[in-house]
Amino acid sequence: MKHIVKIMTLLVALSALWISLLQTSIIPESYTWLLPLYFIISLGCYGLLMVGVGLMRFPTCPHEAILLQQDIVEAKGFLKGKGVDIGSD
Amino acid sequence: MELADRAVGLLLSIISLSIFTYYTFWVIILPFVDSDNFVHKYFLPQEYAILLPVYAGVTLICFLSVFIGYVMLKSKKKKA
Repeated sequence: MKHIVKIMTLLVALSALWISLLQTSIIPESYTWLLPLYFIISLGCYGLLMVGVGLMRFPTCPHEAILLQQDIVEAKGFLKGKGVDIGSD
Repeated sequence: MELADRAVGLLLSIISLSIFTYYTFWVIILPFVDSDNFVHKYFLPQEYAILLPVYAGVTLICFLSVFIGYVMLKSKKKKA
């Protein structure tokens, strides 16, 4: 929930900056209209770059694996306490 | 297999970085260069900076919709 607030704030700030650029027309208007498209394209490039870097490095997350196992054990205990049949292990 | 994955990752990174650099030059830096400079020969006119990404996005969305429809059809057939 906190993440979405951060992203929304960033978006609102960027659009405010863009609108002020449109109003003051420091640079020609036809170039100002390109800026949102530029933003979208840089987002796409960032995503593609992250996928590429992830494929190249292919990191493993041992710490997160331990945390996940702990979560599974906790959830199994909780469900057993409530009387839910979760099979045997 | 792992080598192929690494090669694909490297290719994706290079593609994204080159697209980003080219587009940055095209949209951000070119307006501040004189219109009779030799650099302008290497870039398409400004309209294409809008048209090409829009076409690419529309094609991408078309392919995604076709793929999703194909997968849904296949999964329904398996159930029946």
